[in-house]
Amino acid sequence: MKIRSIILIAALAAALLPSAQAKLNVVATLPDYAALAREIGGDKVDVTSLAKPTEDPHFVDARPSFVVKLRTADVLIEGGAELEVGWLPPLLQNARNEKIEAGKPGRVVASQGIRLMDVPATLSRAAGDVHASGNPHFMVDPIIAKAVAQHIAQAFATLDPANAAGFQANSAKFETEINAKLQEWGRELLPFKGQQLAAYHDSWVYFAHRFGFALETFLEPKPGIPPSPSHLADVIGKIKTDHIKAILVEPFQNRKIAEKVASSTGAHVVDAGQFPGPAESYTAHIDQLVAAVAAALK
Amino acid sequence: MWEVMFWPIAACVLLPWLLVYLGLHVVARGIIFIDIAMAQMASLGICLAVLLHLDLESPATFAIALGFTFVGAAIFSLTGKRESKVPQEAVIGISYVVAAAAAVLMLSRAAEGDEEIKNMLVGNILLVTPGDVWKCLGLFALVGAFHFAFRRKFAFASFDREAAYQQGLRVRLWDFLFYASFGFVVTSFVRIAGVLLIFTYLIVPAVCGINLATSLRDRLLIGWVLSLVGGVVGLLLSFYFDMPSGAAIVCVFGVLLVAISGIGALRRA
Repeated sequence: MKIRSIILIAALAAALLPSAQAKLNVVATLPDYAALAREIGGDKVDVTSLAKPTEDPHFVDARPSFVVKLRTADVLIEGGAELEVGWLPPLLQNARNEKIEAGKPGRVVASQGIRLMDVPATLSRAAGDVHASGNPHFMVDPIIAKAVAQHIAQAFATLDPANAAGFQANSAKFETEINAKLQEWGRELLPFKGQQLAAYHDSWVYFAHRFGFALETFLEPKPGIPPSPSHLADVIGKIKTDHIKAILVEPFQNRKIAEKVASSTGAHVVDAGQFPGPAESYTAHIDQLVAAVAAALK
Repeated sequence: MWEVMFWPIAACVLLPWLLVYLGLHVVARGIIFIDIAMAQMASLGICLAVLLHLDLESPATFAIALGFTFVGAAIFSLTGKRESKVPQEAVIGISYVVAAAAAVLMLSRAAEGDEEIKNMLVGNILLVTPGDVWKCLGLFALVGAFHFAFRRKFAFASFDREAAYQQGLRVRLWDFLFYASFGFVVTSFVRIAGVLLIFTYLIVPAVCGINLATSLRDRLLIGWVLSLVGGVVGLLLSFYFDMPSGAAIVCVFGVLLVAISGIGALRRA
């Protein structure tokens, strides 16, 4: 009862004083978008991420608070490109929030305007869990992250014109920071340029492309399909002949399979997450990724 | 809260009555895992539809899934012999593992991304839509009417098999009709609520009813009341503590079962 009356008073106060605290309520589907939103929005926005950093972005377990958050959101940032297709649409259907409907200024689709890699020439289910519009795991490329940050800044500026200058300034600051960091990361990974990497799932093409690695070996025979014994035998053979030294595995993937392959080839398993932790900044996360990959390749 | 929880609560109020009734049959027949085996049969059908490149939401896919549950119904009614050395539960278990393994093999050939399939097979009660609830309720009303019309035959075949055989009831036929209608119910409810919930709704209220009462009517009433309480309380807890809804409901049922077994034991003491 007490809590309810407090909430009531707070709601009344909020209704009577609309300008007193008009923070934008931002919901990001995944932690990487949340990290960028915090970077751009600063203290002018409240950011929540639906998925946890350790969760598979293709499968996220819905909880009641997700619907509540989506109902009250001013902005929804999603990756698009079918990454969240398995779980976001039913949540949005239940949330029924006009502000974040497709096409509204409150709906930010990060993949818009990004040239995606691996767009299938022909669409066939036989190719596995392929995303028709291309590989959606683009946020591990810092140059693409800059574009997404700019996209987010524009959306925030449209919805909160009073703070537009601040958002643009934060975006510019982020861009400068990434530009400086790119030099640093490039130096750190330069000795290994042209080397091959292996990964469990095809979520690292953008990272490999940006930093000059080749990435063609995946423990999954096709995206989303568990490895079969003959495929693993092929992978082990390839890792041996091509002297691949690192296998990238994400927290929600089957590390045991990677360990098995690693132990029979001498490659290292790299625990690499696509997503920054709840309080981690985007650059700190890429710092960590670059360091982990460099350590495995040494 | 209501905006988010209205339809899940509506689903938990309007749908479980038929499951509680079928659950009493299932427990009496001692075929506890029939629902999971049937659900697995249905998903095997959906995997076949994927192999044939059918649209997952199409009526053809539903028809194939249903066809597979009918195959299951045929298997279970043919193997449920009057005097068999192999318990029915063994056949059910075997059907489950073979269907599950066959689904894995089919998917590895079809190579369909499994996001959509998983979503289709395992519903989330939190995200139920009004359309889902009405469709399922309509179907349950039909199956319910069928069972009500022939309630004596079904009761005979489930609760008093020996007498049914002696009086010349075509037990196999009624078994098949029972399993087939059961397949209908499982296939549609699993898509709304998932495997955990359907199992719970079938078994827990029935067990509580059997613990506390002897007549079918009393057991049904106890089961219905319990299914309402468990569903609604579970959903409210899931909202206030922000937990996955299906799992919260299942755990509430677990607690209810323990409490009611305690009451039953005290009454007998």
